[in-house]
Amino acid sequence: MSNGDSRRGIDCSSPIEAAALMDYWLAHLSPDAERAVEEHLFTCDACGDRCREVMALASGLRALARSGSLSVIVSDRFVQHAAETGLRVREYAPRAGEGVACTVAADDDLLLARLAADLTSASRVDLSWCDPRGIEQQRMADIPLDVDAGSVICQQSITWAKGSPTSSMTARLLAVDNDGGERVLGEYTFNHTRTIPGPPSWELP
Amino acid sequence: MAVEISDADLAQRIAAGQRDAETEMCRRMAPRIRLYGLRHLRSAAAADDLVQQVLLKTIEALRAGRLRDADRLAPFVLGTCRMTVLDLRRSAHRQEQLLEEFGTILVPHQPPAPSLDDDRLARCVQALTERERSIVVMTFYDEHTAGEAAGFLGISEANVRVIRHRAIKQLRSCMGAAA
Repeated sequence: MSNGDSRRGIDCSSPIEAAALMDYWLAHLSPDAERAVEEHLFTCDACGDRCREVMALASGLRALARSGSLSVIVSDRFVQHAAETGLRVREYAPRAGEGVACTVAADDDLLLARLAADLTSASRVDLSWCDPRGIEQQRMADIPLDVDAGSVICQQSITWAKGSPTSSMTARLLAVDNDGGERVLGEYTFNHTRTIPGPPSWELP
Repeated sequence: MAVEISDADLAQRIAAGQRDAETEMCRRMAPRIRLYGLRHLRSAAAADDLVQQVLLKTIEALRAGRLRDADRLAPFVLGTCRMTVLDLRRSAHRQEQLLEEFGTILVPHQPPAPSLDDDRLARCVQALTERERSIVVMTFYDEHTAGEAAGFLGISEANVRVIRHRAIKQLRSCMGAAA
């Protein structure tokens, strides 16, 4: 890293990578690494500008993560912390092979599906979401697994759910072999009833 | 093209009593101090307070000739930031009288905060792999440490960092920024 003067508009000869600046912002660096980053930032406005971009990205990601609008696999601790921090969490946990009646309210913040299955025999698991015709609408490939938990927690987009008319979706947990073969680990049907005013049905393609 | 004077020249001019050099030093150092403040104090208002306090201390030191090596202006300011943050954490003491004296030059223009296209960011995050997205969400929602995410994912902390770094690089690329 440069120790000399560097001015805005002049490229840095040894820029700090954005990922390292993100680690700095998240306080994930060792004390020595943090000290080195700060010494550089106090002589390099180009890296300072990049650090501000990284901070803006972090802020956007934090807001996005808290918006509930992403489809993402999450951990039990994540769910607990969301509830502890005041978010209204709506969770459904149908047993494998069964369906569950569900809905979403206007003041819900997070929508979760907890899918119980024996995951111990699978090296890779995909989560497939199918419409009532059995046509796959979304596949979450190679999802992260806590094998010992015996379940997968999927956050579905609350934004999407609040706009969804009364309809059914089926989730399938699939063990995927190295040669691409698939084996169903569990199938779960969500019979969603719309309780927020809106259109009566999807226009399926 | 205007050539900016060096930090060492600035320090010497301030010691010689040149007030315009003080203004230039504040313009130069304030964004750097504020960045440090945002990182360590997690508050824009607290970071702005830090800027004022550090600039005050720096001007006082430079006027009094207490910076023995003029080439060490940036490290001096960084060191002052560190000490001031420690002080802030120990007490809520404010230097009102000094601020009244120097206030007008202690609020130089700050670089505008970069804007972010939230819809585009959502699409970029949704385009990450499942593992990357899980790590990003857990990291930024909850400030999960790499160790906690590693426990959930059944991988090493080093792998979590690698995945997070790859995701950040991809997100910046997707958002149109250089890596």
